[in-house]
Amino acid sequence: MEAIREFLSGRIWLRDFTPFPQKEIESAIDAGFIVVQKGITEELQCVRCLEHSAEKIVSYNCAKCEAVCYYCRHCIRMGRVSSCTDLITWKDPLSSSPYSHSFTWNGELTDLQQQASYELEESLRRNRSHLVYAVCGAGKTELLYPPLYKALSEGKRICIAAPRTDVVLELSPRLKAVFPDTAIHALYGGATFEEGFAQLVVATTHQLYRFREAFDLVIVDEADAFPYSFDPALARAVGKSLKKDAPIIYVSATPSRNLLKTVPNQSKIFRRFHGHELPVPAFRSLWNYRKSFNTKRIPEKLERWIKLRLEKNEPFMLFFPTIEMIRQAEPLFKSIHNGIEAVHSKDEDRKEKVMKLRNGEILGVLTSTILERGVTIENIQVGVVGADEEVFEASALIQMAGRAGRSSAYPNGEVVFFHNGISRQMDKARNLIISYNREGGR
Amino acid sequence: MNCYLCDNRLDLKPSWRDLFFLDPEETICVNCREGFECCGNGCRICGAGGTEICGECSRWETTGFRGAIDSGKCLYAYNEAMKDYFHQFKFLQDVVLAEVFAGELAKAIRKTKASAVPIPMNKDKLRKRTFSQVDSMLDAGRVDYIHLLEKNSEIQGEKTKEERMATRNLFTWNGNPVPKNIVLVDDMYTTGTTLRLAAKVLKESGAERVSFIALIRA
Repeated sequence: MEAIREFLSGRIWLRDFTPFPQKEIESAIDAGFIVVQKGITEELQCVRCLEHSAEKIVSYNCAKCEAVCYYCRHCIRMGRVSSCTDLITWKDPLSSSPYSHSFTWNGELTDLQQQASYELEESLRRNRSHLVYAVCGAGKTELLYPPLYKALSEGKRICIAAPRTDVVLELSPRLKAVFPDTAIHALYGGATFEEGFAQLVVATTHQLYRFREAFDLVIVDEADAFPYSFDPALARAVGKSLKKDAPIIYVSATPSRNLLKTVPNQSKIFRRFHGHELPVPAFRSLWNYRKSFNTKRIPEKLERWIKLRLEKNEPFMLFFPTIEMIRQAEPLFKSIHNGIEAVHSKDEDRKEKVMKLRNGEILGVLTSTILERGVTIENIQVGVVGADEEVFEASALIQMAGRAGRSSAYPNGEVVFFHNGISRQMDKARNLIISYNREGGR
Repeated sequence: MNCYLCDNRLDLKPSWRDLFFLDPEETICVNCREGFECCGNGCRICGAGGTEICGECSRWETTGFRGAIDSGKCLYAYNEAMKDYFHQFKFLQDVVLAEVFAGELAKAIRKTKASAVPIPMNKDKLRKRTFSQVDSMLDAGRVDYIHLLEKNSEIQGEKTKEERMATRNLFTWNGNPVPKNIVLVDDMYTTGTTLRLAAKVLKESGAERVSFIALIRA
């Protein structure tokens, strides 16, 4: 019973799909420990993800009820919620009591990081939301450590929500190393079930649908990133997962205007932790690159750039606008060098390949926007093919450029936007990077 | 509205055809539609690509199921796109996906000019899944159909081919009047056992001609 309590505390879960025997769940319900609720409300809103649009809450003839029922298409990948399925939560959730956590980080914050860290702690002391606006490579994660340590020691339950699985996979081992005695769970689609009650949860933003009034603090990492900014339901999910009046910390290198306007307390860091400027992207024309790839040729300028990287033994990331183009390009690049790999969101070996790339076992990688954030590789050089294409908004371009020059050993990396005509978003990205460098230099 | 599969906005181009015909509304985008692969014409019994009669069907014709199925057709190959679609439809229970191929399925059924009879689900299983994928596709395609069979509880997937061949009493006739010319409808043709067992029962109950349409050829 205790295991079920630990699991269901703060969670809202499909009754028929818990990791426990159905019998034990039934007896906990009979004993009144578990609250049962229908999955879709009378007002046709999904109780798990709070979706309520007519396009996503749809009706069907239910053979179980022999009546018309509704289900939610929005969060269906987490197991279908319908008006005749039960969602369960633990009535009196566990809360962690204050106890001493170990904090084994012996790095040092720069003055800018230190100041932001103080400001953050001050906001938390007053229970207020806060935005950390810091450039790629400013050391955002590290400046969170002291406030996190303080909040954990006070017994707060905390969630760090990131937009992508890759970011969760990079972040959670780092946190486990810094807080070795803290129960930390990593949640993402396809994650294995972890026992116990986690005081610190690192999750993809989608996983927040499965929580309700669970956290004393949610840290929304890369707050601007797709799908977060695109999907109001995810913003609602953050709100739902929080306890009443609990604050949110937003962390972003490219916050939206809305975020800048609505979050009252902000800290800004426009300088990387190693003190060097952000690499400013160069624009290089690559006319008709689509046609080239269609006819199985790598455009000449691009080929030269890649060969130079191989010659100098510099690892590189080459971003593409579509998965289709990656698939087209992969064999062409492999014929230049077999050590070049492709990674995209539909790749089954994605997790392994990203790991290899981090360990420096891959020379260069052709990728989509999945690797635009949260990835740090020493001495990486960055190219964006088709930087003018619509999928690449300024924020995405800034993130991709931000992969370069992150380590103090190699603070300068090359960033090239290969284009078929300069877009406004490219200009915006470049101008913002230049303005960060100017502000950071003051 | 958005594509049922990739959730991108559907660009619906108005056409003269829309004005004059009541085609079922498109539910998925061109990109997603392109991922599906049509089944070619071939075997006169099961419709598999290539020869006049495929190896599997000619083997069936040497068994007690000889002549159980007169002809048949599968609409789509079981490629990656179809696997994803089918998973979302059947196992994630995304019932609206019945609409995606309903129009084509209806067209193929009407062409046979036979009475449509869906392969039924076992009653307990139907209650568990909350919908029948075949019936919901027929409903979405506005095809009239009659249920003539009842399915006894047995799970096909867990058996070997030989065991499937030996399962004789998978279906029983439910007693409704049996038309002379029947088209059986199923979601997936794998070994052909299910359809042959059903066809045999129908022929023993008075049907003269039994053909089938299946959405997918696995």
